[in-house]
Amino acid sequence: MSCNFTEKVSLLIDGELAPAEAREVEGHLLNCVECELMRADFLSLRSQIAGFATATQPVVQNRALKKILSGGRRAPARGLQWAWGTPAVAFAVLLIVAAITGFLIYKNSNKQESIAKITVPTPTPTATPEPPKPEEPKETETPKRTPSAPAKKPITREPKPGEQFATLTLPEPPAIPESTIPERVKSADSETLTAMHFERSETLLRAFRNVRLNEPTTAEEVAYERKRAQQLVYQNMILRREADAAGDVQTASLLESLEPILLDIANLPDKPKAAAVRVIRERVERKNIVALLQVNSTALARALD
Amino acid sequence: MASEDDEFTMLFQDFYPSLCRFLECLLGGRAPLAQDLAQESFLQLHRTAWGTFPAGEARFWLYRVARNLAINEFRKSNTRYRLFDRVVEAMRPAARNPEQEYETREREQLVLEMLQTLPEDQRTALLLREQEQLSYREISEVMNVSESKVKVDIFRARASLRERWRKGTDHRSQITKHKDRSAKIKSYEL
Repeated sequence: MSCNFTEKVSLLIDGELAPAEAREVEGHLLNCVECELMRADFLSLRSQIAGFATATQPVVQNRALKKILSGGRRAPARGLQWAWGTPAVAFAVLLIVAAITGFLIYKNSNKQESIAKITVPTPTPTATPEPPKPEEPKETETPKRTPSAPAKKPITREPKPGEQFATLTLPEPPAIPESTIPERVKSADSETLTAMHFERSETLLRAFRNVRLNEPTTAEEVAYERKRAQQLVYQNMILRREADAAGDVQTASLLESLEPILLDIANLPDKPKAAAVRVIRERVERKNIVALLQVNSTALARALD
Repeated sequence: MASEDDEFTMLFQDFYPSLCRFLECLLGGRAPLAQDLAQESFLQLHRTAWGTFPAGEARFWLYRVARNLAINEFRKSNTRYRLFDRVVEAMRPAARNPEQEYETREREQLVLEMLQTLPEDQRTALLLREQEQLSYREISEVMNVSESKVKVDIFRARASLRERWRKGTDHRSQITKHKDRSAKIKSYEL
């Protein structure tokens, strides 16, 4: 490639040269064998690449179109299926044990605090406010307000058919102690935060699944899980929006499935009925969300490694 | 709403196959994954961005999202897909003209393999140029880089492929010659 025109040959076959320059290069090609060969080779490559036949079948295409138009979601990616071997299972078990240990340590350190009173951090400005629906059950904990304080609208998410407890009532912002504010995105990147969020949510859901009903300690246990759900729900909203913006549909979809469950737990009353807890548990089981969280947190952690 | 859906359907039917092809070449021939990602790109367009910009720009938006999804896939471990794709490959129906089909497949495989040796940005730029016939300016918009970078990337990609193609065809012609010679020797022996 000793000729000065080599790069222009590429531009010439793409029609990206000005007419005068194109004429000049064409004139050069008549005298330069090297460039003429190059043009022939480039054109041959073009036909090879452009002639690549796609294996798409009309049936697949129509099915995809139907799914998109019906607003349906893609079936879980193959990565979400149970396709991992024994080492991955062992790793997952270790992860669960570590999470439970961490949870117990955290619980012990927080025993001094009053668990019954729960505060929620200030909502992000991106949350969609919506008036509370009259038909929704009044199980939301309503904090006492001072007479001078303006009325606060609850943060809601659009409820899907079959969902309940989509409303989360917020207390006054000044009442938030520093210790209850959840971790914010500061130094870590969103992938790390998502992995951590998945881990925490998984731990929460497992703990919630294990709450003993109709026992003297039930209220205390539920209050604790509710507090954690309230912390996680805002992080979930932020991460879901980030995943949406980044085009990571898999993560966004999982976070979207997780959100109503976190909201339901966060909205449980002080002394919840066993039926309400059972309904949430059934939804967790039906959506198989714990397994999905586990697989995703492991996959993300591995990707980050 | 119905007309919006009609418009979307037309766009889908026009560009879904070419988006699949683009992704398949970008991913090195993993057709099922390419179809998944193409579907994903259209799903995102339908759910989030449809109607927020002129329909003419949707194509560039799609290629941008598809490329990002493909890059996400590169980052993940790809062993499971390889295995899955091999199974799918084995289950494909037999060709009508096996000899011709074999030759086509072999040539396509060679093109795919050569494309995989290129850096991702060169590969994307070249595919958008050769398959989708986008101009340098359009490619620079899709890839969010300068036009001069696109120019250089495409030239480098071509030069690199040309070199490999020559080596590959030389190697193949040598193998063919060797096979012919062996066949001749065998026929004399008989």
